Amino acid sequence: MTPPAEEGEEPPLEPAPAVALAGDFPSRPTPAEERRSLGALGLDPVWDPSEDLWRVDVPPEGWVAAAVGASDALQHPLSTLFGEAPREAPGTIRVHALFLGIRPSGGVHLRCALDPPRPTLPTLSTTLPYVAPFERELTEMFGVDVSGLADRRPLLLHEHHPNPPLRPGPASAPDGRRVEYSFRPVEGEGIYEVPVGPVHAGVIEPGHFRFQVVGEKILNLEARLGYTHKGTERLFEGKPSDLGSIWAESVSGDMSLAGAAAYAYAVERALDVAVPPGDEVVRGLLLETERIAFLLGDVAGIALDVGYAAGAARANRLREAAYQTLRAATGSRLGRGTIGVGGLRRPIRGNLDPDLATTYARWREAIGRLRDEWLGKSSVVDRLEGTGEISRWVAELMHFVGPVARASGLRIDLRHDRPYGAYVGTEVRVPRGLTGDVRARLVVKVEEIVESCRLAEEFLRRLPADRSPLEPRRPPSPGERRSGLGWVESPRGEFLVHVTIGPDARLERVHVRDPSFLNWPAIEFAVRGAILPDFPLCNKSLNLSYSGYDR
Amino acid sequence: MTERTVDPPPRPARAPLPGPADPAASPIRYPLGPLELPVGPPRTPLHRAERCEGTGACARACPTDAISVDRSLGPTVVELDYGKCLFCGLCIDACPSGAMASVRFEEMAVRDRADLRLRHGPPSPPLAGSRLADEVRERVRRLYGDSLAIRAVDAGSCNGCEVEVAALLWPRYDLERLGIQLVASPRHADALIVTGPVTRNMRLALEKTYRAVPGPSFVVAVGACGISGGPFRDSPEVEGGVDRVLPVEVYVPGCPPSPVSLLYGLWLALGKVDQRLARGEIPADALRSPPR
Ligand code: SF4
Ligand code: SF4
Repeated sequence: MTPPAEEGEEPPLEPAPAVALAGDFPSRPTPAEERRSLGALGLDPVWDPSEDLWRVDVPPEGWVAAAVGASDALQHPLSTLFGEAPREAPGTIRVHALFLGIRPSGGVHLRCALDPPRPTLPTLSTTLPYVAPFERELTEMFGVDVSGLADRRPLLLHEHHPNPPLRPGPASAPDGRRVEYSFRPVEGEGIYEVPVGPVHAGVIEPGHFRFQVVGEKILNLEARLGYTHKGTERLFEGKPSDLGSIWAESVSGDMSLAGAAAYAYAVERALDVAVPPGDEVVRGLLLETERIAFLLGDVAGIALDVGYAAGAARANRLREAAYQTLRAATGSRLGRGTIGVGGLRRPIRGNLDPDLATTYARWREAIGRLRDEWLGKSSVVDRLEGTGEISRWVAELMHFVGPVARASGLRIDLRHDRPYGAYVGTEVRVPRGLTGDVRARLVVKVEEIVESCRLAEEFLRRLPADRSPLEPRRPPSPGERRSGLGWVESPRGEFLVHVTIGPDARLERVHVRDPSFLNWPAIEFAVRGAILPDFPLCNKSLNLSYSGYDR
Repeated sequence: MTERTVDPPPRPARAPLPGPADPAASPIRYPLGPLELPVGPPRTPLHRAERCEGTGACARACPTDAISVDRSLGPTVVELDYGKCLFCGLCIDACPSGAMASVRFEEMAVRDRADLRLRHGPPSPPLAGSRLADEVRERVRRLYGDSLAIRAVDAGSCNGCEVEVAALLWPRYDLERLGIQLVASPRHADALIVTGPVTRNMRLALEKTYRAVPGPSFVVAVGACGISGGPFRDSPEVEGGVDRVLPVEVYVPGCPPSPVSLLYGLWLALGKVDQRLARGEIPADALRSPPR
């Protein structure tokens, strides 16, 4: 056990590092270097300031080379891939692939227009395995034939689904065809299957898990999701751009503020809306408070699943205090309806308790004490160590994000790598684990709570003294078709929103990439070889969003 | 069990609980004691007919069409459906005449869906009655009055409602002090508490879960989604409310409803308290905190 971190020093989280990691933040190419390496691939990038990315149009034949090349050249994986039925070219489908560089700016946005009658695109999943779910979604939603994609099962739409709902052109009637879903077979003597869900035992979201087990040992787990698919991305379409945050905060309701903020940044970048600095600081304060409440829930959940009820109760008391702080500031315990486009929906600085900084300082101490106490209990630590391991190699290969990736040793955090809003010019300490097990995830989450409290205190100090209410502002009308990208480090990791706004200031296409869309395979890796009773613990330590995946 | 030391830090002094120092987290007595509403700006919209000029700005601002303003019949008819409301406050910001105000009111749960619909205008024909016959209701009260086992089902929520349902088990709300338990299986449950707009992909699972509950059972629909589909009500992927699929005994509005609202809703289902909202009218004593 390592002593608590000194102020100003990176908190060492793990005992006796198993691997020494050189270079925490690998040096990344600058935008100018990116441009050169993209040029070397035969691409002609255009700088897009509303996305902070190099935009390149490629034909379907050049898709794989460009995507794999971009991913190599930028040393950064694909962040999201989605389809669009562009309004300016009715009947066609355009596919977007975004590669966010881990730097304040830079990265690539590939676009590919597909032939209307038979839209086909070669798969990227043979080189970049984590892209398969994106391509499955593209297939079922837009009817794009992704050639070479091994797994062609539907992702979000279940058996009753009609034809691809987002395919442009005249809507064809449901053909009543049922696509049977078959799980990956695992066969052999003594292997049996345990189906779980979609309704689970706790107060959690629905999803189906299929375990193949020998004795108590899990050989394979396959998660089937889509149960909470609500067609959220389609609901944005046609709405005024300042109203979209209502749906953005309902993507993952336990991260309402992060969703609303990512959406707001996307629209603000698209329409060049300036946000008053005071509002940005308040946004930062709210986002950190949400993170504190959220991560305390994970801490409590892990405690509960190892039978440490006292620890859970104490974490939940703190969590309640955090939600009440949000309510006192915004009127909503989850902070809903607060972050709008152009700033805050309503003035909240006047609601802040003048003593709020001491509250955060108290939480910081309380969570630190809780950590020391329960990491001193051998019966607790015993259940956490070595459970649900995700190696750094897997985390990197599968492009996991957020605390899950950090616990496996990756130091990625958008607040640090690609700062936005109040985080520009703010030092964010990014904790990192080494072992990738439940213990590492717990310790990383605890350290993140401590860091969030510190950031909240800092934001409170930076709040402008002027408490006069701000006028709610409406975004200007674009007059031409604009697009923008918003990113926020949510409590679960990188949260992306991409918007396209039409000349009438209405939303034409909104794509939301919840961090859990990348992280869901983590559960399948974490439980492989574990015993069945450890599944709830692994699940809780990863805390994946079902609704964020399904939308 | 033998104690094996894994991490031997000097065992710290027993950490004081975030107790009295954090009044926000201390246990409440409600619904057995008085309701103390936590601080924070009020969020429940209130329509004041005497100030209304019938501009319809609120209806245009509302993301879920919870408000309708109709002047085609001569006098203005304003309808506000708390079952669709997200408590976002956009209508209040939009109203030019100050007719939309916000109040602090959380005891919003009702037995009859019609009681969530406020109507300001000339009298209209009475709406349909409630669902459960009085005798069944009496039986529910007799059977479950002091011991109720409920099973929570997420029928496609955004997980916001789950946060608040789970909060019922936290030390502050401590549902079990009321004799109410959240159980792991519908077969152990007397009732269901359902969140989410009922996605097409969850409909079958929800129906099967309901059939697995031994009767007589009842269903509590939670949140704007559970009542009307909430922000997702226009999506073809959702059924748009629990009562499209199952008979609902109590509706708890909110997005999400606060734990206090949920406690009230469960207490109402057990017949322990009277319903406070009638035809969408918030009772006068709740309006004493001045509207902002
Ligand atoms: S507060 Fe309710 S009624 Fe008012 S705009 Fe929001 S959802 Fe509509
Ligand atoms: S009512 Fe609101 S919080 Fe609850 S599931 Fe629906 S959108 Fe989420």
